[in-house]
Amino acid sequence: MTTAPSGTAVRIRGTHQSVGHHGEILQGVFESDGRLRRALITLPCPLYESHAVFEPSDTSTGVTVLDPWRTKAGRAAELALRTLGGPLTGGTLGLTSNIPPSRGFGSSTADVVAAIGAVYDAAGHRPSPAQYAALAVAAETASDALMYAHRAVLFAHREGEVIEELGGPLMPLAVVGFGTSEDSTGTDTLALPPARYSVWEIEAFRPLLGAARRAVRTGDVALLGRVATASARLNQRHLPVPGLTELLRITEAVGAAGLQVAHSGDVAGLLFDPDLPDLATRTDHARKRLADLGIGDSWYFTTKN
Amino acid sequence: MRSPTLPAASDSVVEATVLPRLIRLGPNLCVAAFTLMKLLPARFMLDRAEQRGELAPDTTVLETSSGTFALGLAMVCRLRGYPLVIVGDPAIDPALRRRLGELGARVEICTEPSPRGGFQQARLDRLEELRAVYPNHYVPGQYDNPDNPNAYAAVAEQIAETIGAVDCLVGPVGSGGSTGGTAAFLRLPQPHMRLIGVDTSPSAIFGQTDGPRIVRGLGNSLVPPNVSHAAYDEVHWTGPAEVVRATRELHARHALYMGPTSGASFLVARWYAERNPDAQVVAFLPDEGHRYQDSVYRDEWLAERGLLDGPAATVPRTVTDPGDAVGGWARMEWRRRSLDDALRGAAARPGPVPVPVPAPVSVSVSGEQ
Repeated sequence: MTTAPSGTAVRIRGTHQSVGHHGEILQGVFESDGRLRRALITLPCPLYESHAVFEPSDTSTGVTVLDPWRTKAGRAAELALRTLGGPLTGGTLGLTSNIPPSRGFGSSTADVVAAIGAVYDAAGHRPSPAQYAALAVAAETASDALMYAHRAVLFAHREGEVIEELGGPLMPLAVVGFGTSEDSTGTDTLALPPARYSVWEIEAFRPLLGAARRAVRTGDVALLGRVATASARLNQRHLPVPGLTELLRITEAVGAAGLQVAHSGDVAGLLFDPDLPDLATRTDHARKRLADLGIGDSWYFTTKN
Repeated sequence: MRSPTLPAASDSVVEATVLPRLIRLGPNLCVAAFTLMKLLPARFMLDRAEQRGELAPDTTVLETSSGTFALGLAMVCRLRGYPLVIVGDPAIDPALRRRLGELGARVEICTEPSPRGGFQQARLDRLEELRAVYPNHYVPGQYDNPDNPNAYAAVAEQIAETIGAVDCLVGPVGSGGSTGGTAAFLRLPQPHMRLIGVDTSPSAIFGQTDGPRIVRGLGNSLVPPNVSHAAYDEVHWTGPAEVVRATRELHARHALYMGPTSGASFLVARWYAERNPDAQVVAFLPDEGHRYQDSVYRDEWLAERGLLDGPAATVPRTVTDPGDAVGGWARMEWRRRSLDDALRGAAARPGPVPVPVPAPVSVSVSGEQ
């Protein structure tokens, strides 16, 4: 929180930042309270961040967004103001972000989360993750679990609710990321119709969630990697990743724990245990194998808890 | 010691007992011990039929079974209020028949086997007739309903969460639901997981000529469509002597009072686990021993059949043709082949021509699930 003198009144400038994400480790439908709900487990991506600054104004009502095309973030800030119910009446929202849009990095959700946080910060409050989630979904129809940062949760992205805490933080992971579409233009996440899963697929999500719970609880990167690979395979019928067979071959050849894909975007990642003694050799190998496949643009990051 | 957090009370005995207890019998051997395994597919099939609107409060449930699937269905139908008609054959034992009656099920017994397919076919033929008698009916059809294997996702979830990666799953094959269903789900994260199906001889499931069997609950006179042969890496045909011995050992050594299908599963799983100390093995134990107090668990019954102190194999013979597996304990590398491919592979192999199947030791019942 920063204070800035302005005339005689003291106005408080609010700031907040949110990381992006790298798609999902697991996505599907899950039974909860006797009904099926669409939900996912997000892989955070600290390579990318969105920063929001909210300058309250005594004279205006409503939010002015410096980049007018950031309508979702503007809507989220308006909703946050309304939820707070005073004393702030309006202000100016500025956002700076290095997250590429439309690729599955969660650029709009990161903007939305940062905007909500900045408005609350200006009012001297900090929202709970559940408040973040409710506002984010209200602002943009569906949301990722970015507000939960490194807590491993099964998140109903269309309802903005945590279905389940998986039993601990997501263990640290090393990721070699890359784009899977030829032109790297990505996908309009919300324009995609929700996947229609078969009865067998719906049942198949149960054991994958069971395996994910165990992986998180015991810090088992290998098992979590298997869950990610299985989820990528199941997603193939709904949003095919070009060359998946080749990518799975590379996953095995370089000894990655698994292959993770954005289930509604075009980023994918090879997951590794960051404590591997020969990690650098393996990730180098992975990037070479990807380049052989024509995927020259790859990146590396680690998550931490 | 901290007291454990007690879970909420279950809504019914079905909810309370539908999942198995996972019990570690050795460093690399776990068993999934069910009270009554068939409760799981019975409940799941009725759940799904209700969701699809195929069941109204007065819909009669019709099914053919002489075993535990009938009991599972009778429990679920009684709790939900559906009338139930079970078509069985003389193999249905009096105690089970009384239990089904107590649960409100009508039990019809086919007294004559069909010339083709034996009692199993006779029961299916009678079921067809009953469809006309009860126009408002629902037939779960455990042998060909895909909801039977689908029901086992819940067990796969339990195993994945409790045990983690499994290298080898072992279980008896009757309808194909438990082994085939669970393996398909566990193989999503673990495609190389080995699946071993346990049968007995003579049984049609894995390509033998059908004949009378001593051990109840194992083997089938027909090949159920739900058996996905290409799911199995290995098949074992267990003999009655090994099965009853393993069943008694499971009780005497591990205090697990289970039925003979469980004994057969334990026999094969223990053999595999001992030979593969690095492989995590899970074995299905489908039901408890109470139904078998006067057979498998009674020395006189075993002695009359030469099964008490007679020879029992401690390792299986390895065969490459199901026809060679008749008699005692035998195994075959199935290699995820279809039934046709496995039999064609067997026929193409140079060596002894498959022999006609002789009837085993004297037999009092023909057992089917």
